[in-house]
Parts: sequence; C-alpha cells; structure tokens
Amino acid sequence: MAQSVRDEILAKLRAAPSVGVPTRPTLPPYKTLSMNQEQLIAEFIARLAEEAVAVHRVKDFPEVLDRLTVIASEEGLKKVMTSADDVISRLDLAGWGKKNDIQVMTPRDFPDRNSYRDAVFDQAQAGITGADFAVAESATIGLIHNKDQSRLVSLAPILHIAIVPVDRIIPVYEKAIEKAFAKKGEYPSQFVFITGPSMTGDIQGVLFKGMHGPRKVIVILVG
Amino acid sequence: MEIKTEQFTELARKELKNERTRFFLKVIPAVMKARRDAGMANLPDPSAAMACGAAIRAEALARLPELLEEFEKNATANGMKVFWARDDKEANEFIKKLAKEKGVRYVTKGKSMVTEETALNELLEEHGIEVWETDLGEFIAQQLHRPPFHIVGPAINVPVEEVRDLFIQKIGLKEPTLDPIQLGYAARLFLRDKFHHVQMGVTGVNVAVAETGTIINVENEGNIRFTKASPPVQVSVMSLEKVVASMEDALHMIRLVCRNCTGQRISVYVSMDSGPKKKDEIDGPEELYIVIVDNGRSKIYQDAKARDALRCIRCGACLVSCPVWRQVGGYAYGWAYSGPMGQVLNPMILGLERTQELYRASTLCGSCKSICPVGIDHPSLFLYYRAKDVLGDPNFKSVNRPWMERKFFKMFSWAAATPWAWNMGVRMARPIMNKDAQNGVVSKAKGPFQGWFRSRNIPAMAGDTFHDRWKNNLKDKG
Repeated sequence: MAQSVRDEILAKLRAAPSVGVPTRPTLPPYKTLSMNQEQLIAEFIARLAEEAVAVHRVKDFPEVLDRLTVIASEEGLKKVMTSADDVISRLDLAGWGKKNDIQVMTPRDFPDRNSYRDAVFDQAQAGITGADFAVAESATIGLIHNKDQSRLVSLAPILHIAIVPVDRIIPVYEKAIEKAFAKKGEYPSQFVFITGPSMTGDIQGVLFKGMHGPRKVIVILVG
Repeated sequence: MEIKTEQFTELARKELKNERTRFFLKVIPAVMKARRDAGMANLPDPSAAMACGAAIRAEALARLPELLEEFEKNATANGMKVFWARDDKEANEFIKKLAKEKGVRYVTKGKSMVTEETALNELLEEHGIEVWETDLGEFIAQQLHRPPFHIVGPAINVPVEEVRDLFIQKIGLKEPTLDPIQLGYAARLFLRDKFHHVQMGVTGVNVAVAETGTIINVENEGNIRFTKASPPVQVSVMSLEKVVASMEDALHMIRLVCRNCTGQRISVYVSMDSGPKKKDEIDGPEELYIVIVDNGRSKIYQDAKARDALRCIRCGACLVSCPVWRQVGGYAYGWAYSGPMGQVLNPMILGLERTQELYRASTLCGSCKSICPVGIDHPSLFLYYRAKDVLGDPNFKSVNRPWMERKFFKMFSWAAATPWAWNMGVRMARPIMNKDAQNGVVSKAKGPFQGWFRSRNIPAMAGDTFHDRWKNNLKDKG
C-alpha cells in the first residue's frame, strides 16, 4: 500500500513538464575564509560577545579546572552533568568534583533513558561539554552526537558550559560538515550547531533567554 | 485548523478596527524588516546570495522526483523509516496509528507548518492523544485556537493581558504577571515536564538533504531539539518540496532562511538528523519516521509556472514587507500561511474557488518579489491565478465569471478590435458615464459597474473624443 502511494506520487512528478533553471552566480568567499588562526580566534570571541556568551580564555587544560571552580562558585553549582567526549576526557572532572564538593554525573551513570532523563532534567544545574567545532562565522559550536556526546547534556540544564580548544575554530560551517559527514554510513545520528542561549521573542516581540534550553552559555577557550 | 480563506474581506475589516492589531502593526513589521535587511547586509554579496538561493530551489524542483528518491534511499540506509502520504488524511492517519501502537498519552510538537496544513492536532486530539505545541508562540496560538498571525511569531500580536489570563486558566500560573519574561518562564516550566516524560515527538522539516539522507530543523527555543532528543519515537513530517541536492546547498539555504526570518546569522539551534540513535546512545529516537506529504503539490508541480510557489522556504520576509499584510496582519488570510507567501500557496493547495480574494488582495507593488530569497515572482503568480480563475480552468478549481460579465468582456474585446464600433461606443458612453459626475469626478455608478467604484474614482470624460477635437481644431485653423 505505502509502496504504491510512493510510486504514484513519483510517477506524477516525473510526468510533469521539465523547465529551465536559472544559472548560479559565483558567490564571493566569506571573510573568515581568508583569516589566519589568531584572526579567527578574535572573530569567534567577537561574535560570542554579540550572542551574549561569556568567554573565558585559558592557556591550557589544567587551567580549565581552575576556571571551572570559579564558575561553579559564581553559579552556585552543586550537581552537573558532563559528556564524555574527547575534550572532556582530557580533564579529570571526577577528581575536580570531589575536591570541590560538586556531584559530577555523566549519562553513563544511568542504566536507562528514564533515569537519565530524571537526572538531566531535574538535577543537573549545568551541562558541561567539549566542542567538535567552533565556527568563527557566527560563534557557533558544532557537536557531533554519539555515545560520548548525549543530546540532552547541552540542552536540558539551564547553564551550558562548552570547553573549546582553539584549534577547533574553523572559518565556515562547510568545514564542519565536511568532517562530520566525511564517510557515508558513518554519519552522526544527530549533528547540531549551537549559537548562544535558547531564546524567543514570541510574546510581544520581547526577547527572552532560556525559553526551553539553557539561559546561559559559557565558553572556556583553551590555548 | 478551520479554513476561513473565503472570509478575507470580513476578517480584514475586523482587523482594521482592532486597536491592538493597529498598534502592533505600526511597530513590529518595520523592526523585523530592518533586522532582516541588516542580516542580509552581512553577507559578502547579498544579491548574489539571493540569486543563488533561487537557483538552488529551482534546481531542486527541476530534479524533484530524482532527489526525493535519492533522499529516500539514503534516509532508509541511515535507518530512518520513510512513509509517503497522498494527502492530509493519509499523513494524519499514519501518525495517529503509530501513536496508538506505541500507546502514547501525548506528543510534543516542534513547529511544523505542514501539520497545521493537515490539521494533525485536531485528529490526534479527537482520538484521545494530547498534543502540546512547544514553540512558545505556537503554544499560545494553539491554546487560543487561532491561526498564526505571523509565520515566525504566531502569537506575537497577542497582548500580555490575554497571555496572562490564558496561562492562569490553562497552565496554572500562580503569580499573575504582565512581564513577558515571567510568562515565558512559566511556559518553560510547564512544557519542561512534558519534554521530560514524552514518549513520542512530532516535528517538521526545514530542509531535507538528498545526498546524505539528512533532515534539518532550524529553531531558536530548543523545543525541537527536546522533541527529537527526549522521546524514543520521532516523527518528522515534510512536504515533498523540502528536499535539496546537497549539504552545501542546505547550508546556503540555512544562511538565507535565518537572515530573512529574524536577521540572525544563524538560528540558535540547527539540528541535523541522519538516522535514529545508535545502540550505545542513551538519548535520541530509537525509531525515526519521515512522513513525506504530497497534499496537492504533485498537482501544482504539473504547471510549469505555478510550480514556482513550491520554492518557498517559509522565511516570512514577504509578510513584513507587504503593504497589505502590514495593514491587516495574519488572521485575515484565514489559514496556516499568510501574506504573499499564503497568497501564492493557499490558492494552489486549497483551490482558486476557496481563495478568491487572496490573490486579488494585492497592489502588485512587487515588494514581496524584491525581498524573496528564492526568487518567487509573487505578483506574476497573482495575475496568473486571476487569469486561470477568470478562464475557468478546472485544474485549479477556478470559478469562472458570471454570465453577464463574460458576455460584456466578449463584446468589449470585439468592439476594441473593430474601429467603427469602438468609435461609436466611446461617443455613446460619455453621457451615460458623466451622468453621475460631480465637480469633474465620477465616483459612483449604478448597475453592474458600481463595485468598481468601491475604492476608486475616475475623472469625468471630456465632452468630445480626442479625434473629434482634433478634427474641429483643424477645421477652425483652416
């Protein structure tokens, strides 16, 4: 039954007259494409400011933990959920949590979706993730979702802290897509671009941050 | 959603008297238009970007059957389940059956224009499945049972007092407030609980990518991400024209749609699904269904000109630039799509007879065409629809004109092509027309022509024709 509907629709489309199409103009390259690494970092930081995202730049990974301690005390964090991606795994967050009396959870601590959802919705005060890409074009963080990067960690808690090594900064979205979609059959189940905190202007055009996702995004830039 | 496209004039009149609407329309469209213009200006070459957007959509339509097949093949290889639906009934029935099978009590919904078109919510609720629209504006519009006022801000015109009362009644708002931020926060808490326990999510699709079998959603609130991350079952509904060839094309369209929508370089979230979650992932859907809805589009596609309406990416830029929309707002158009976008889409989806006034309520100023990032020529489509309607084309469910009118124009075209009849006619018409003239202006007429003067005047005609005066003048000089 479903098969026949498909064939019927496609046959109808195929039977339609063919029409000419306009030619594509050549597009000038985005300005970030001609920037060197330092300029890209500066652009990324400038755009983050436009999106009202706080940026902390630190020189190396050990310093990330110090900075996290400061942020945790400023934000009053007692329970956080972290992903297990390749940036986060370079930090000893479990040890950091013990030292600072902060409960550090990861999605792996939970046997099933429901218990994990309870924790990430109701308990985690912040979600801490790495970043696969940081796009200078619009201060956008790219996350490849997989077993180490669960979707709700960067979404459900009211605060999202993203740890971004500077060498992940790229000029345009295309560079991220090339890598994330490099191999057919191995595409990420979900890939997401995040630019600033969740927001809406749906009541009388008044902008409101933290509509459903995080109200605040903090970027710790490493390097 | 109840279809009220036949009531355009009536609804427009009502909105013209609505003080809230008047106040709102004075301020917001100008702001939105300015944001859009500023957003486009940060592209290296805005007009080339628009031309490129037009080419991408035109190519996608030219290759539509082939791209849909490629999308289906790749999406299926990625583990998605693709279902094709001829019309609203088939699409809704499939989703209802799935929800019943899964035993879900409610679904959360990300904004999806095509499911507004198919009235999915009504059907699910009839069968005892609660539907929660989760985009704040859609949530308010849904609770108020109103069509979207604007495609991006569906309830942006609703006064805070009304939102407060609604929230007290529907979501148990405890501390009444007129602060939009506090109201938004109350909605957050209410819907958060829905996201937390949801077993099935329904979303739309902004772009489907043939080469990778990927669907893409663009949003600012995070409700679509929740709807795709939290529940074990995800259904994403797309009208069949949403497909583009490649990821590269999709990225260009995302740059355009965000700028034209809200002036942003990119929306807060852009999420791209290429299949259900992998076994070792803890969130994301175990089953991901794609419903490809035709609902009349394959028929529109048969017409090489009307097909251009299918280029539309629903950015809403044409609404805030339209002098008619800026006066009457979104309700007058009586359905899911309003403004020039609705004026080109609704007549094709619903038929010309139910949308008579939509394609006529235009000054043909071309503002929509000049701002459209995919090169739709709205005014020319309006004229095309009017012509089809007048000629009684059965393919478009057109109504033809009354017998008298048809006879009149038949005679008129004969007279206009026959010199002696024309000359006699213009002499005879003068006294009849000038009968009602006042101070050299004719502003009313009796009989079949009175409608013409509803919003127009013409100067009274001179006593003699130009030919006569020329002849007399020559005679005097001679």
